[in-house]
Amino acid sequence: MQLLLDNLGLFLSGLGWTFRLAVATLLIATVISAIVGTLSVTRSRVVRLIAIVYVEVFRDIPLLVNTLFVYFGAPLLGVPLDPFSAATVSFSLWGGANGAEIVRGGFNAVPHHQRVSAVALGLKPWEIYWYVLAPQALLPMLPPFAGLFTLLVQATSLASLVGVTEFFQVGQIVIERTTITTGQSPAFFVYGGLLVTYYAICSVLTTGTRWLERHIAERTARLPKPARQLIVPGDVRPQESV
Amino acid sequence: MSYQSDFGYIWANGPALLGGLVTTIHVSVVSILIAGAIGIVGATLRVLEVPVLSQTVVFYVSFVRNTPLLVQLFFIFFGLPAIGLGLSIYGSGILALALWGGAYNVENVRGGFLAVPKGLREAARALGLGPFHYVLLIAVPVGLRVSIPAMMNTAVSVLKNSAYLQAIGLGELTFVAMEKVAKEFRTLEMFAAIGVLYLGLVLTLSWFVRQLEHRLQRPFRGR
Repeated sequence: MQLLLDNLGLFLSGLGWTFRLAVATLLIATVISAIVGTLSVTRSRVVRLIAIVYVEVFRDIPLLVNTLFVYFGAPLLGVPLDPFSAATVSFSLWGGANGAEIVRGGFNAVPHHQRVSAVALGLKPWEIYWYVLAPQALLPMLPPFAGLFTLLVQATSLASLVGVTEFFQVGQIVIERTTITTGQSPAFFVYGGLLVTYYAICSVLTTGTRWLERHIAERTARLPKPARQLIVPGDVRPQESV
Repeated sequence: MSYQSDFGYIWANGPALLGGLVTTIHVSVVSILIAGAIGIVGATLRVLEVPVLSQTVVFYVSFVRNTPLLVQLFFIFFGLPAIGLGLSIYGSGILALALWGGAYNVENVRGGFLAVPKGLREAARALGLGPFHYVLLIAVPVGLRVSIPAMMNTAVSVLKNSAYLQAIGLGELTFVAMEKVAKEFRTLEMFAAIGVLYLGLVLTLSWFVRQLEHRLQRPFRGR
């Protein structure tokens, strides 16, 4: 307890960095997801292939490898990144790949007849996208994006490996310092405390996601059932996890 | 830019990388098997609504899912020795990965168990089968088939997450590469090599999952 009080400022600043990292990542990842997700539902095969390769590469290579690579590899390309930027770039690329799958799933869930009707009405492709598909695809995307944010909060712990003083790194610093000054390692309590804190934060986010899911399911349930659903079960792969 | 890439370097370090790869696969396979067992036991406890244990499983699943794996790993490796439960690097790594995968597998297997038609459960009861026999003889053979693709996806994630074990110093693929990078600064080559290896592993396993899914769906498709 004394340990917590002594280092409260440090822990709070760590949490601050964790949130800054998670929010910055979410914003950039959302932009990447929108772009790559849209590309993955276009008609051009080449464009779709590019989007698929992007998604596969960043989803299939462990995030940890990705983070280390961005941090240690960036100087070789002549753009040395500080730890925070490196972590942001790496998490955004990863989050963007996962978000792109959500966006693709959202677009695929819009009943096919909507697109066909829009074509029949003579709308231009961008009009179909902007006025017909996007508004309907947006709502079902919200819960998975909330889930992605929870994952990003957890992923920020990886930033400690490249030296960002976020929550987990602060815990390690406190353990080291206390071990040196008192000769006893408080690892059990500090790591335990970190786990409980992460659990509290992410549980709230998960509960929020569930609520959003139910709320949106109720809203869409009132709409008339589409004649033909083109969504293939298993088309959207389960979300990544940290 | 003065960095000269030299991809012959990867070949020169082939044996070291191969050793790392073997460790990665070894640790992953052991963890995946334990995680599968945890999933089946956990889901059984939940489906049978065993008092106390069922709630414990619910808490376990939500706890693992809502905390970062890296912190879990550090808690197991650096924290547990303080209360006399110290494990080796290898043991800690396996435990962390298995507990992590197990939490996801509980939900995967439970999904499969819930997909077992209700009539089968009633029929089992009518035949006088107890809950244990119901799970063993009916829910596992019928329900597990449904959950195997999801469990395989979890297995792929466990494989990827084995990279976390480099943080506690287990000599798996990422660890080997990082060590080389620290000594010889061939960052680009090393990361390209392990990137391709991970990609290859995951894509192969994913392809296998799809084949299996197709095969397992056969009885439900009719002729």
